[in-house]
Amino acid sequence: MKYRNLYIAVFLFLLPLASFSQTYNDFTLTDLEGNDVTLNDLLKKGPVLVSFWATWCTPCKEEMKKLQPIYEKYKADGFTYLAVNQDNQKSVSKVKSYINASGYSFPVVFDPDKKVFEAYLGVGMPYSLLISPQKKIVAKHLGYVTGDEYKIEEEIKDLLKSGSDENQK
Amino acid sequence: MKKYILLIVIFLSCSVSYGQINLNVDAGVSNTLRYGNGYEYTGRLRSPKEYFENLTDARLNVNGVTFGLRYEVSDPIEYGLNFVGIRKRYIEYEHEIGISARAGDYWEIISRGLSLNVFEDRALGYDTGIDGIRINYEKSFGKKNPMKVKGQIIGGDINYSDYLTPERIEKYKIRVVNGQFSPVKQIVLGLDYVYSIGDLPEESVNTVVHTDLPEANFLLNLPEVQFYAAYSHKSSRVSPNTIYPAPLTGKGDGFYSSLAYSKGKIGVTLDYKNYRYDITLPDNRSNTRPTRMLPYQNPPTAQKEHTSTLITRNPHVVDFNDEVGGQLDIVYAPTDKLTFNLNGSIASRHYQYQDTDTTLLVSYKRVDRSDSYIPSLDDPFSPFWEYYLEGEWYASEKVYAKVAYARQSNTTYNQLNPLSSEKLFTSTIPTEFKYSFTKEYTLTLISEMQWVHNSLRISEDKDFSNQFFSLTLSRSPNLNLTFNSEFTNDDEEPTGKKSWFLGEVSYKLNQSNSILVSYGSERGGLRCANGICRFVKPFQGFRMAVQTQF
Repeated sequence: MKYRNLYIAVFLFLLPLASFSQTYNDFTLTDLEGNDVTLNDLLKKGPVLVSFWATWCTPCKEEMKKLQPIYEKYKADGFTYLAVNQDNQKSVSKVKSYINASGYSFPVVFDPDKKVFEAYLGVGMPYSLLISPQKKIVAKHLGYVTGDEYKIEEEIKDLLKSGSDENQK
Repeated sequence: MKKYILLIVIFLSCSVSYGQINLNVDAGVSNTLRYGNGYEYTGRLRSPKEYFENLTDARLNVNGVTFGLRYEVSDPIEYGLNFVGIRKRYIEYEHEIGISARAGDYWEIISRGLSLNVFEDRALGYDTGIDGIRINYEKSFGKKNPMKVKGQIIGGDINYSDYLTPERIEKYKIRVVNGQFSPVKQIVLGLDYVYSIGDLPEESVNTVVHTDLPEANFLLNLPEVQFYAAYSHKSSRVSPNTIYPAPLTGKGDGFYSSLAYSKGKIGVTLDYKNYRYDITLPDNRSNTRPTRMLPYQNPPTAQKEHTSTLITRNPHVVDFNDEVGGQLDIVYAPTDKLTFNLNGSIASRHYQYQDTDTTLLVSYKRVDRSDSYIPSLDDPFSPFWEYYLEGEWYASEKVYAKVAYARQSNTTYNQLNPLSSEKLFTSTIPTEFKYSFTKEYTLTLISEMQWVHNSLRISEDKDFSNQFFSLTLSRSPNLNLTFNSEFTNDDEEPTGKKSWFLGEVSYKLNQSNSILVSYGSERGGLRCANGICRFVKPFQGFRMAVQTQF
């Protein structure tokens, strides 16, 4: 690996140039009650924030706590916050009781073989993608830092506003 | 492998050869670069450690056909053997009628993993991925309350190695048939059958093991109650060789069940495990026994997974071959700002053993008991128990606080000399306090105090304490500055050190790129995921990780 330092230098130089061009993938997953939830159907109502989480992921749980009121605020405008669970076999039994006890009203679906996570090139959690009704990924958030919810809310507002502007035209 | 890929290509060619082809293409690439340079400790012995790993995962989808590969440069690798080249590759086809086929590399879990759960955990140097073919079929009948069926066929090879002995590779040829039937959405019934031929190297001789592993599982999902149960039975036949001159058979089974109840602001989950995949005499236990639970199995651990730094340092290592126990987890959220969590878990071996030889030799005999389906807290059963209480309070938009208490007891019974059995008691108080100055800036303080009693130590060293402090300043959405410190007064700490300090910076360049840099010392220790535990050596030096998505 005599070219290692060169490799790192070139990689770091190219990093900021990496453009954001990930594409949309539809999916159907089962919710806590055993119903099928299809992303395409949700997008017909408005933008969707697809968020990958697990019960053992502390920042994921903080993000959910902060996004619940945002979901309540904008769901009448067609916005959906879709929490895609990534718990593995050892903790999946706790998911339903955790969600119900916490009083969360947004839809939660299971991705047991992590197929959707893989399709969206997930590498860590929490991992959220804001998808427009035109099936474009308009924003992505890997990880969560306290305060990120303000930025996410702005992105949702912008998307809802651009959607209503297009409808008026 | 090539023949599988060829078959799929022919199949795809046939399916697109008629009619006009309208190309619908999407692609994605993610890259992880990891670099570390410093020193690794084996006891007090310090040796230079450097690693460089770059993993590029690419995915291309053309009209429902997905091509994927991972190109890896690991030279030198952090754990395992150096590798440069294509580590993973696959081709997958999905048709809207519900059929999908994948050839190449993949991971898979059937139900909760009693018969099959293969996965990768890079941090533990663990990968039981399958290289082969997988065909799935899913179909729903009806619209309002559909009846669902799911079928799956899997065939392929698994090469398994432990990173501590990476040159020892166990090879398995595996065949799986799996079916699921859901007559109504509240009920799911599953049946699967796994057959494998294992080739296990041992003392320059390879041992061949044939294994049959059927499983049945059941899920009832009502609005307030969820019940799950799974049972699998393992039957292994070892072909005679110089190590095992007589035909050897091993039979074992595993049962896992969970009951979850939620109403209003309370949620309760009860897990039960009874794993008897290879109950054997104490002097026969080994991580390489051919009749043990196989690497492609990985049932639920039925114990809490902690996030506290100090609690995770003393994990209970689940013995899937011989363990019975369970856990109770209660979540209570009286308001949307306040949440309490209570968790208790218990586990032990099924039986105790007696030495029946009156000479200097040892000859163990199992002491049977009728209630072996419940754990015992007596020392000869190597019991483990813990309870955990946590309160979490979102006081306002600016203030968050969490306080917890954990008490753990873990006994490792020494059959030869019971007085030398290790009893480890820990009490830990983790706390977290967060204050947001503005919408962007937040200060997080984590403090953990731990008191340890180890019965195996000499008297003055039996009791010691550990402290962990972490201070993080974060600026949403892109910056984290963290300073970690850890202290101990343990005179038998393997490295002889009493303190560790680490600084860490993580920065998101944009939505697709992030970089993490750290410098300092890490204490190391036992690290577990999914019941798989590895000892991670202490490290001092520089680490960098760059994550990119194109």
